[in-house]
Amino acid sequence: MNPGTFAVAVGVGAVAGLDCVSVPQAMIGRPLVAGFLGGAVAGGPLAGLAAGAVLELFAFETLPVGASRYPDWGPAAAGAGALAAQRGGTWDPAWMVGIMVVALLAAWLGGLSMILVRRLNAAQLRRRGPALEGGDARALAALQAGGIVRDLVRAAVLTAFTLAVGERVARHVALGWRAPRAVADVAVLGTALGVALWSAWRLFGQGRPRRWFAAGAVAGVALVAGLLAW
Amino acid sequence: MPGFRAVLARLFTIQAAFTYERMLGIGFAFASEPALRGLGRRDGGSPAFRAALARQARFFNAHPYLASLAVGASARAEVDGVAPERIERLRSALIGPLGSLGDRLIWAGWLPACAAIALLLVACAAGGWAVVVFLVLYNLMHVGLRVWGLKVGWRAGVGVAGALASPGLQRALEVVAPLAAVAVGAALPSVLGWYPFGHHWEVFAAAAAALLFAQGVRLLQGRATGIVVAAFTLAVVVAVGMAW
Repeated sequence: MNPGTFAVAVGVGAVAGLDCVSVPQAMIGRPLVAGFLGGAVAGGPLAGLAAGAVLELFAFETLPVGASRYPDWGPAAAGAGALAAQRGGTWDPAWMVGIMVVALLAAWLGGLSMILVRRLNAAQLRRRGPALEGGDARALAALQAGGIVRDLVRAAVLTAFTLAVGERVARHVALGWRAPRAVADVAVLGTALGVALWSAWRLFGQGRPRRWFAAGAVAGVALVAGLLAW
Repeated sequence: MPGFRAVLARLFTIQAAFTYERMLGIGFAFASEPALRGLGRRDGGSPAFRAALARQARFFNAHPYLASLAVGASARAEVDGVAPERIERLRSALIGPLGSLGDRLIWAGWLPACAAIALLLVACAAGGWAVVVFLVLYNLMHVGLRVWGLKVGWRAGVGVAGALASPGLQRALEVVAPLAAVAVGAALPSVLGWYPFGHHWEVFAAAAAALLFAQGVRLLQGRATGIVVAAFTLAVVVAVGMAW
């Protein structure tokens, strides 16, 4: 990846990571969106969308509830989208499985890094404690700005990690892959869909939603049959 | 409401200085500040302004979108000169209901529904339009809730609890869960039809792998999350694929 594309992709990932908690929580950081944007800056929006759609299935597992720990998908998906676009429109399952391993690791690290940012915010809060107790509006603004800058840097570093490590890993896997390509395809979608299925079951597997979920699944299977026949 | 636009814009940063000690408290006060300026902000602020701001910066936690309801209500209470203890009780009383409502309405309802609709559109070859539809659909509810919450909170002041029982909100709660269930139910199998498999039999292999993997994640529940298990599984697949 050339340095210009790398830098823009890091910028996209930073904004996507910032969106998750700090500003503006508009779901720009959802894998589907961040993957598409990452792919777009690397010249392959649809390849980025494909990577984002797979990560979106994984993302069904965790809901971004308040103080709970959850992965940060934005930087990971933006990086994965940009890397997926590197194959110039050719679907390479081995390349994709390499990207996914690193993207999942990055998303998990993203969750841990959010805790670090919250602790740094708390340290700044303690320093500004007296001003805050005195109702100083400037102290509030400084705390907000500090939190945003820390989160932005965190997300940028995470995106750079995904891009740098992901490209090396994906290239290594693609060059060394010996198994039939079906193994990589089935593994990537099987794990992603498996996580999504389990998460959907936890959300909708009881009471009245179960019937709605089953009705939707029937419609979805009919759609797949139609798509395959077509 | 004085400074409505400024308060609304600042609400989008309500989690920017998130800490485990005060949760959304700092963002809450930062968002409230333009509405409190009527208490006297010149020369660093009047004692009433500074006391109100310090109060608003204390611990608060709720769903970030619905926090606008609490921001509007407590800012109104401060401007109306309600007793500080009553304002603190109001803020505390809103934490649980707003958190629970937001979790059910947005995190477990609207977000999965919109994501599933977008995945369905991807499966139907909508390309980038899937992303556009997702962002527009999701943010209609997101921005709408923030605006509604701020207006209703300011109008109701300390009587804001009644707004939580509004028929519109209750109806939205009734509709969103079935909508999400149908959309997610339809989206998950549809991904099998979209994914660029080399052969048709791979669709069935992936479906079987997904069912097996879901069962594995269920068995490991509490010991490892799905994405950790998936990352480990894919790393093993990489090793096997390269040593084949």
